[in-house]
Amino acid sequence: MSDAITIEQLRYVRLGTADLKGAADFASRILGLQLVDRTETSAYFRSDYRDHTLVYVDGLDAGQAIGFEVRDPDALAHAERVLQGAGFATTRGDAEACAIRKVRQFVSFRMAGGYDIELVVRPLESGWRYHGPRDAGITGLEAIALRGAPDASDQQVWTKLLGGKVSDWVGEAAYIRFDEAHHRIAVHPSQEKGILSIEFGVEDVDLVMQNAYHLRGAQARIVDGPGRRATSQQLFLSVAGPDGVNFSYVAEGERLASPRRARQFPRKRESFCAWGSDTQLPEYQ
Amino acid sequence: MIKLADVSYVRLGTRDLEGATHFATEYLGLDVAERAKGSVYFKSDEREHTLCYFEGDPGDQVVCFEVEEQFHLDEAAAQLEALGHPVRRGTASEAALRKVHDFIAFRDPTGNPIELAWRPGYSGRRYHGARDAGITGFSHVGLCSSDLARDEAFWTKVTNAQVSDRIGDAPLLRIDEVHHTIALFPSAKPGIQHINHQVETGDDIMRSHQFLKDRQVRMVFGPGRHPTSSAKFLYFEGPEGMVFEYSSGVREIADELLWRERQFMFEPKGFCKWGAKPNIAEFNK
Repeated sequence: MSDAITIEQLRYVRLGTADLKGAADFASRILGLQLVDRTETSAYFRSDYRDHTLVYVDGLDAGQAIGFEVRDPDALAHAERVLQGAGFATTRGDAEACAIRKVRQFVSFRMAGGYDIELVVRPLESGWRYHGPRDAGITGLEAIALRGAPDASDQQVWTKLLGGKVSDWVGEAAYIRFDEAHHRIAVHPSQEKGILSIEFGVEDVDLVMQNAYHLRGAQARIVDGPGRRATSQQLFLSVAGPDGVNFSYVAEGERLASPRRARQFPRKRESFCAWGSDTQLPEYQ
Repeated sequence: MIKLADVSYVRLGTRDLEGATHFATEYLGLDVAERAKGSVYFKSDEREHTLCYFEGDPGDQVVCFEVEEQFHLDEAAAQLEALGHPVRRGTASEAALRKVHDFIAFRDPTGNPIELAWRPGYSGRRYHGARDAGITGFSHVGLCSSDLARDEAFWTKVTNAQVSDRIGDAPLLRIDEVHHTIALFPSAKPGIQHINHQVETGDDIMRSHQFLKDRQVRMVFGPGRHPTSSAKFLYFEGPEGMVFEYSSGVREIADELLWRERQFMFEPKGFCKWGAKPNIAEFNK
């Protein structure tokens, strides 16, 4: 077994929020996610065949966490050793924490960017497909964009420890893949920390644009796009969400059947959008 | 029956030839074919020209259709005269101005000036736009109609035009496999309602949207997608209030026997399936 941790797939995002009711309303009414479970302190949302891919948790002190699935308990134990060897303090989730996440086992660790990574085993699937409150055409959780260290010093965790491969760079921003998708994680050098945007796939260009008009009609604040990324060729549209976290719809985009070299794009707006759209996000300017 | 083989060109009067030329080249993305005294010819495809701006009254707007044989002009003239539409044979110098071998001029029932031309000029030099708008060619015109049912009957009974779809009572008319080459829209006054150029892809639509918006060109509809022709579109205002459209992905009706025209609502959703609302008088009740 090599040292790198093998990630099976991106699973979920957990977000602490100052206004659980408002955030839950945003997720269902504005974004079009399906509320599947609501407790006193949290709201779970489905976007695809998985039980849930987004959880809002009451209180900003709940922080932010990204869940990745690893294959089995052995893989998790291996990951734990690798992370500890690299100097990370890891925490084993107890039974209650596992139940809350709807997983069998998990190990978490804190990234320099201020969010947690949770490596999970046997996360819950759903036999019931996603059915949103409106026809947003969501196909599933696609990727997470992160605010990273301005000098990109935090990217090695993704490539060296977690087994990610860089598909493209825009300046120092790295698009990192774990499977055939162009990227599942994008790390953007930033003056701030935490999750920049949570990206959900939608069916096609019609859905991207229908959502754009829907969001405008609902007076949501569009912060990026609609546009097309020069790197991944994805169509994108980003909207400001609660607690400084943005959400994006993406469609189309490159699938990498076989490995390819990472490409370097210039740090210019044209690299983020081939349509020439405007953005309010400094990370994409 | 008059067989229209293609739409050839439009001629537009302008009080500001220099301004119109600037718009046509720098903004619309056409290619100057020729500058003559008091007029400028523009290329959009393999044809010698498809738009001509000339010094004159902006209300002076003509659209020309190509016929395949010279005797078609004589037959058309006889037929139109019999229906009470006075027909004028173009002089040699007028034909030279239009770069055609022979033509006749008449008005449709609303009073729109129409020309039928034989052997309109093609050119060996390919179109190369002043900017990369992705234009593939001049494709259709919208015409004002003071009585939609009467004018539909005129175009479909007197010429080979057939109804592909209707938005309210506004018919979209085809003369070949392209979903529509003439579209009629309600208006009290005669005139060309819009001028369409096809562009290569939906990306070109969106790029032009940003490009033109950045230059304060007035957007009047879109970006959007027509549920009728399935084309993605953008409408914007040019000199003297003329509306120009870019579109991409127009439906082709290959098997006419199987095609049944469809009825769409004369409402924003009949014009756009993405949710854009037209700011065009003739597209609103």
